Amino acid sequence: MTELMRYLRGAYRIAWKDVVGDLRRRATLSSMIFFAVSVLVVFQMAFEPTRQEALRLLPGLLWITVLFTSLVGLGRVFQAEEEDGALEGLLLSPMPRGVLFLGKWWGNLLLTLLVELCLVPLMLVLFNVDAWMRLHLVFGVLLLGTLGLTALGVLLAAMTQTARSRETLLALLLLPLVAPLLVAGVQATGAVLGSHGPDATPWVRLLLVFDGVYLVMAPWAFGWLVEE
Amino acid sequence: MLARWGKIEIWLGAVTLILLGAGLWLAMTAPADFQQGYSVRILYVHVPSAKMALLSYLFLTGCSIVVLWKKSETADVLAQASVSVGAAFSVVTLASGAIWGKPMWGVWWAWDARLTSMLVLLIIYVGLMGLRSALDPGKAAKATAVMAIIGAVDLPIIHYSVTMWRTLHQPASFSKTAGISIAGPLLIPLVVMAVAFICLGAYMVLVKARAIEYERRIEALELAEEMGHEEMHHG
Repeated sequence: MTELMRYLRGAYRIAWKDVVGDLRRRATLSSMIFFAVSVLVVFQMAFEPTRQEALRLLPGLLWITVLFTSLVGLGRVFQAEEEDGALEGLLLSPMPRGVLFLGKWWGNLLLTLLVELCLVPLMLVLFNVDAWMRLHLVFGVLLLGTLGLTALGVLLAAMTQTARSRETLLALLLLPLVAPLLVAGVQATGAVLGSHGPDATPWVRLLLVFDGVYLVMAPWAFGWLVEE
Repeated sequence: MLARWGKIEIWLGAVTLILLGAGLWLAMTAPADFQQGYSVRILYVHVPSAKMALLSYLFLTGCSIVVLWKKSETADVLAQASVSVGAAFSVVTLASGAIWGKPMWGVWWAWDARLTSMLVLLIIYVGLMGLRSALDPGKAAKATAVMAIIGAVDLPIIHYSVTMWRTLHQPASFSKTAGISIAGPLLIPLVVMAVAFICLGAYMVLVKARAIEYERRIEALELAEEMGHEEMHHG
């Protein structure tokens, strides 16, 4: 039990270092938020949806924005570790690789959730969609999707960290793999908002399956990737 | 190591050629389908290549597990080869499907479950190629193996989710529950073509693997030569 607490505290320390460091440097979080806002602006200019259309398109737009915005964040997950052999230092800490993964994942998860917290109300305002009473349900679906998205994303970020043109590569690898997440997330959000049919249950179940698979697999795979 | 398989390669090539010839002849003389007319002949290429696109991924997954488990260089070469071969088969599947879809459905493309899954499979193959070429050779083997295994776990979820999403494709003919629903004269060429494509896939993997092995050996030699030159300058 104490061992488990020690591991959890270690993971928490890594996440804390990442999140607080990022907030102080105002690096990732602000660029993610402004990237998300510019996606919304571009979308409005390209489609000019009416209020009816906006309600129908909102789930898809929300998830596309989240997906692209998370790519911005994921490109920088291991940036701090690249300098001055910081990754070696991290790997030398007396923690299993899975715990290191957990810490990096929590940090990215928290940043992504913060962006979503700003994004959803902003979308409802900008596109005149009256769904304030269902906001908590939308956030519930988003949380489920973000768990799996960031777990897989941090893993792929570790994989492409030393690659040439890694940001493009990250997108190329991540987008097909999160297809189930996108489909399930959009359908569930649509069901919650009442624009995509009535029942969110099968889609929420699919989100849970995806989360379960990657929460089990990602720490294991991370161990293989960073092993010297 | 793979160079020793040269004899197998030649025999496999010959068998593939004979089977492909026989299969194509059977396919071209097969009677027209009651509903689909002569367009059904496209399926003699389409169905076997779809099976091969998936079979290549299965083989790739096996090789990737061996790479992680035994750190085998041969398995890594075979994995790299099967990515290219699998990608080729998925392109053939998508192209022949589009050609078949135009007269049958009236459109080149429909976003149904199996087409979408095949397209995603192709993107995963391309991603694997990109990952390998973007990493140092020392890291590429392990990273692509992990990525291939992630894809292997993800593919069933992708297929399940897009099936839930929508389905409009004709039901699979080789379904366990429905029994085989193709008449004999149309089935025989399909079986011959399927066997021919399995041989073709194996042959392509062997040829590609040999080419990759030569490529790696040349790179190693060039590297050694460069190091030698540097030493001469220093000495």
